[in-house]
Amino acid sequence: MLGRTAQNLFWLSRYVERAENMARLLEVGYRMSLTSRREGGASEHLVSMMRAAEVDEAFEATGRQADLDTVAHYMMFDPENPSSVYSCLLAARTNARSVRTAITIDMWESLNAGWLEFAQIKPRDVRGAKLLGLLSWVKQLSHEFRGALLGTILRDDGFAFSQAGNFVERADNTARILDVKYYVLLPRAKMVGGDLDIQQWTLILRAASAHRSYRHVYHDRYKAHNIADFLMLRPEMPRSLIFCARYIEETLDSLADIYGKREGCQEAAAKLRAMVEGTNMETIFAHGLHEFLTEFIARNNAVSESLSASYNFY
Amino acid sequence: MGDTTPFDEMHNADGSVREPYRALAQWLDEQPDKALTLMQSDAEAIFRKLGITFAVYGSEEGTEKVIPFDVIPRIISAMEWRKLSKGIEQRVRALNAFLYDIYHRQEILKAGRIPEKLILQNSAFCPEMMGLEPARGVYAHIIGTDIVRVGPDEFYVLEDNLRTPSGVSYMLEDREAMMQLAPDLFSRIKVAPVDNYPENLRRTLESVAPANVSGAPTIAVLTPGIYNSAYFEHSFLADQMGAQLCEGPDLFVDGGKVYMRTTTGPERVDVIYRRIDDDYIDPLTFRPDSMLGVPGLFDAYRAGNVTLVNAPGTGIADDKAVYTYVPEIIEFYLGEKALLNNVPTYNCVDEEERNWVLANIGDLVVKEVHGSGGYGMMVGPTSTKAQHAEFKRKIEARPDNYIVQPTLALSTCPTYVNAGIAPRHVDLRPYVLMGEEVRITPGGLTRVALKKGSLVVNSSQGGGTKDTWVLED
Amino acid sequence: MRISIRHQLSTTPLPGSPNAVLHLLLTPQSGPTQTVESWSVEMAGIGNAGRFTDAYGNSVHLVNQRPPEGELVVTVEGVVTTVDRHGVFGRVGPGPVPALFKRVTPLTKAPVSLYGRFRGSKDSRIDVLHALMARVGEVLHSPTAVIQNQSQTQSGQSQSQSQGGPTAAEGEEAPPDLPRPPATDYAHAFIGAARALDIPARYITGYLVGDEDDPAAFHAWAEAYDEALGWVGFDAMLGLCPTDRHVRLAVGLDGLSAQPLRAVPAGDGPKEIGVSVEVVS
Repeated sequence: MLGRTAQNLFWLSRYVERAENMARLLEVGYRMSLTSRREGGASEHLVSMMRAAEVDEAFEATGRQADLDTVAHYMMFDPENPSSVYSCLLAARTNARSVRTAITIDMWESLNAGWLEFAQIKPRDVRGAKLLGLLSWVKQLSHEFRGALLGTILRDDGFAFSQAGNFVERADNTARILDVKYYVLLPRAKMVGGDLDIQQWTLILRAASAHRSYRHVYHDRYKAHNIADFLMLRPEMPRSLIFCARYIEETLDSLADIYGKREGCQEAAAKLRAMVEGTNMETIFAHGLHEFLTEFIARNNAVSESLSASYNFY
Repeated sequence: MGDTTPFDEMHNADGSVREPYRALAQWLDEQPDKALTLMQSDAEAIFRKLGITFAVYGSEEGTEKVIPFDVIPRIISAMEWRKLSKGIEQRVRALNAFLYDIYHRQEILKAGRIPEKLILQNSAFCPEMMGLEPARGVYAHIIGTDIVRVGPDEFYVLEDNLRTPSGVSYMLEDREAMMQLAPDLFSRIKVAPVDNYPENLRRTLESVAPANVSGAPTIAVLTPGIYNSAYFEHSFLADQMGAQLCEGPDLFVDGGKVYMRTTTGPERVDVIYRRIDDDYIDPLTFRPDSMLGVPGLFDAYRAGNVTLVNAPGTGIADDKAVYTYVPEIIEFYLGEKALLNNVPTYNCVDEEERNWVLANIGDLVVKEVHGSGGYGMMVGPTSTKAQHAEFKRKIEARPDNYIVQPTLALSTCPTYVNAGIAPRHVDLRPYVLMGEEVRITPGGLTRVALKKGSLVVNSSQGGGTKDTWVLED
Repeated sequence: MRISIRHQLSTTPLPGSPNAVLHLLLTPQSGPTQTVESWSVEMAGIGNAGRFTDAYGNSVHLVNQRPPEGELVVTVEGVVTTVDRHGVFGRVGPGPVPALFKRVTPLTKAPVSLYGRFRGSKDSRIDVLHALMARVGEVLHSPTAVIQNQSQTQSGQSQSQSQGGPTAAEGEEAPPDLPRPPATDYAHAFIGAARALDIPARYITGYLVGDEDDPAAFHAWAEAYDEALGWVGFDAMLGLCPTDRHVRLAVGLDGLSAQPLRAVPAGDGPKEIGVSVEVVS
């Protein structure tokens, strides 16, 4: 396989996952801003979601006031924002066109049809309830693409590269959401959270589509400790750090099997997983949650970089 | 030729149906109302879903269109096809012999059969190709010969495309779509298959691998990338024949050999079906500003370590000014009379001919010598007075830059349009492969001018395509 | 004459280029006018170079150097024995049919004022060529050379290093001894004029043994084709047919196709570091 093909497959899946995450973050920001009763609260929520998406500084640079309309437009449609849903879908499709022969017709059709539909939408028509509808459509598109991929693609090196892209992106996203809100997750004297805490916790869980599955796992009310545990260390949660890290390692190991040779990226993946394996929240809190998450994000980036060096992306 | 009514491929002058079309005519009669309308919209959905699109030059970035497909096939009888394909094979062999000669001893120039200047001063002539020995002596491996029909037995060759002819994916997809849309028709009519083209292409490419390759040669398709108007075709063909689809940066030359950059390191490439124009394939030898090509590729070719398909410099054989000499070329190398007609062509450099051309411009077709795709062309009878005047000025300013031909009454085929079934003008591009043998896919791509009365079939100018059926005996 | 040559060229690829590919026309061949005793081309990556013969019969090195670090230096060294055949190279050697060398390239367009007087001449082809050589020399030596403006744009276009002799210095007010245009201009003018007269003519690069008037140099001249004699050399800058002071290196349609060093990415260069051409015993 061409190094460029591997690279295109990796980024194709990464961008589809990113589009989904952008939609998810915007949805949370939108909900929170509607329910915020404090002066300036709405804007704060939106900004913190943009921080999780790592686009807050770029948005500030545009000089626009953060309100529902401006933020929604920036995160959905702005071609200047490289992480907007628009930019992600366009980049995904461009990558897909470059590897038309390496992906299945089903994968291409789901992405192509989705893009053609999205490109028809006029941003000014998307307000209020329509925005929520569109956000869930974006998530559906991502699910459909993933379904097409899992259902039709050969389980060869190409599959491994696209899965690696998907889960590196997801691990990054979950870690960032946690990092933006880490202070509301820290243990404190008062065991019961106030209204404000509950609101913040809901936000975190929703951003990871985990507000309902939380109940299935914990059968308990929202607690900071559990939420952190759920999104970081629970292997049954498909967006948790440990799930992603294990899956990335497994995927890269399969590449080493296919090619009969271990490279730097397998070591990087092992180092990533080692962080979340055999530990617990108490230990992590003791060493500092923020520091832990910062290190995790750095190691995750290292996986992506060494993957590109190991397999001649260029 | 001239002002006669165009030849209708389906009907005789008395309105009766011509033999090759009988079964189709009966089938059409049996179709309930709206059946064709439904087929037409189904066809569009099939093409768009598969992403068979082409980019339109000059339009907004990202604009992609589906070339209109007409659901009524064009039919050629077995006998007609035998005659056609013999003529095409003769042309293709002669043109390859001509290319070999032009890039070696130049006997045809020494014999004075073609003016020396026409070749040596031609921008399509590639001096860097001199003395090179291509595998099996073949220069043009993939050829698309543009043919028009003006009568039951009268075919003219409009153009021999020996550079990088495109459109073969439409030929294949048109058949695929037709079989999905009207499977019952295929059970009634025995049609020669076209779907072995990718396999034949692969065989052709393998047969011209450099002599020093042991084992199965590695084949790559070299594309300018996703923004090229024919990108779909490049990826389609690579996929269909199991070759690697590469862009320039995917390849590099080391030690005089060509390699692809793969996930497991460099992998040797033996044959490159390149869909990049000569000027852009190698910035070291040709245009230094090319970002699409591979530095050193031509040198590797020269060193005999890779085969380029088609060879650079084949454009000299399909140059519009050389076209007039093709009958001469066939006679010189094969000692035979040309089986297919050339369209008479007026030479504007000659004052007498030029004056005649200027006086009769309203009846003539003017083509730019180096134009293609229907650009830089004027069809006299369907153009305005202002356009006539404009082209007169152009010819007077640069007589050598234009060739002028009579307007041919292109044959018509029944075509499904808004008003129902109506005759529309068509041409034909059969695809020829030349490696260890000559292989011509039965039929080819029929392009149809969808606008009533229009003679311009190019997709960039509102043309569509039809599935083309060659009947089996 | 036994001649020892050492020639150094350099090119600097743009920083960050993944690799540099070089095409070297720096290997002379033995023939009627010379015998190559020894020759070496040295540069990083030369060991793995591709070798082949180009369309004009030249011996080419194709070098892939990755990743290039700063300046790439090419050093050629060798000993060649020459004989004086009064410029007659003859019809031996590999290479395309002579008629190819009637093709006019952008660098070999000559003004009609240069060759017009020889049109329809009744003299023998060799006489015409000698007269043409004199005419080219006269026109280019003169400070008001018709061809001068044109030749300057040409040498810019050719992106080749100065070939032979001192380059015309800018803004220097020094009549009567104006510096001469580079050898490449004389060669192009002669070739263009010959081709306009329907005579095949080709561009030759090589080395020149210096004397009191002309220093040793990387040099260029022309060869024209005569049915009887074959290829005959004409050095319009020196105003003579090549002698045993001339060492032939490469052949081309013009200075561009015979460039001693081409590189992609072009970056900075190629530049000539130095050349020495000495008679040894």
